Amino acid sequence: MPTKSRTNDPPLLILTSLASGEKHGYALLQDIERFAGATLGPGTLYGAITRLEERGMIEPLPGSGRRRPYRLTAAGAEELRVALADLRAIADEGQRRLTARIAVAGAPA
Amino acid sequence: MTAARDREARRFRPGPTALLAFYPRAWRRRYGDELDALILEMQADGRDTGARVRANLLQAAARERLHGSGDSRERMRGGACLLLWAWALFVVGGSIVAKTSEHWQQALPAAPDASAAFSALTWIAVGVAIAVACGIALALPATLSLLRDGGWPRLRMRVLTAAGLSVAAIGATAALLTWAHTLSASARNGHDVVYGCAFLAWVALLTASLLAWTALATRITAGVRLTRPVLRIHAWLVPAVAVAMAAMTVATLVWWATVAGEAPAALTGGSRMAHASPLVPALVLAAVLMLVATSLAGLGANRAMSAHREL
Repeated sequence: MPTKSRTNDPPLLILTSLASGEKHGYALLQDIERFAGATLGPGTLYGAITRLEERGMIEPLPGSGRRRPYRLTAAGAEELRVALADLRAIADEGQRRLTARIAVAGAPA
Repeated sequence: MTAARDREARRFRPGPTALLAFYPRAWRRRYGDELDALILEMQADGRDTGARVRANLLQAAARERLHGSGDSRERMRGGACLLLWAWALFVVGGSIVAKTSEHWQQALPAAPDASAAFSALTWIAVGVAIAVACGIALALPATLSLLRDGGWPRLRMRVLTAAGLSVAAIGATAALLTWAHTLSASARNGHDVVYGCAFLAWVALLTASLLAWTALATRITAGVRLTRPVLRIHAWLVPAVAVAMAAMTVATLVWWATVAGEAPAALTGGSRMAHASPLVPALVLAAVLMLVATSLAGLGANRAMSAHREL
């Protein structure tokens, strides 16, 4: 049985996770595992959070204790929309080529 | 079960969370608490925080150090400051090479490889000095604005220290030159202990003066507000100077290896020893300084280039 293919681009995974609402570090980690099956290391997660915040894609909110939740900004939502459209185009093209290949392989000699 | 988890968390406490110390201080101030809390939550949840997490944290900390913290202007400042310190160290190393290489051409007149490497070193050094001077000149209008807007009291002590050390260095140079003219060549090359000590004190004074001006330049760099076009030019200059420093280091090592292979005595001022060692301590020190300086410049260039994309 083929394994489930999973994207492992931390910024894209974080933006996708935050699209459903604000989350702090650990909640992000758990959500990403749930929907993408990818486990990000804590250093990788906060490295990506740092870059996304620098670029204005996400913003921190006042937190409780040492946890600080983040939310998607308008620029982050637009970035996610463009990235998903690109991925969709690649997926569609891949699907088209695969279907064509199966059709050729399955055609009678 | 909860007690067991608590014990586990306490047992791990000095582990991964202690690795946060490898992150840059500014980054730790902003994200350290959150990341620490995240790791402790992972531990409390029974997740693996062993070798893989430690390696991940070390890798991420190294990436943050390479990248530098803050927005593009702050990273550009950080890159420029690193380059200024790197250049100061490189000048010290280069000066040692210049002193050690005073007489090599007399001992080894027909050595095309060594001549080519030495010429490359000299011409690239001139080019880099001009590039650094241009970078400083471009920042002068912003520096004057900084001084006019109340920056002078913050800089006064550093300016006075650097100027005082420079005046002392100029005076010491004049005195040493006058003294040197009264001595024989062998006395000047290590046989007069008092002159040797005075020479080392003069070198220390020149180095202190150079470092004081560098400290002043980095303080100014931290305070000035440069225009975007100037920042963009600096973002090109920093990696260009870093590449040139790497080229000069390679040229020095090629020159050293060539002279060491053909006439090692030329590296020690014409030593008459049958087996003069090519590992001259002064050159070893110079090579170490140049390598450290080139690494620092590479770090600065990386920050400048990452900032350049966003400027």
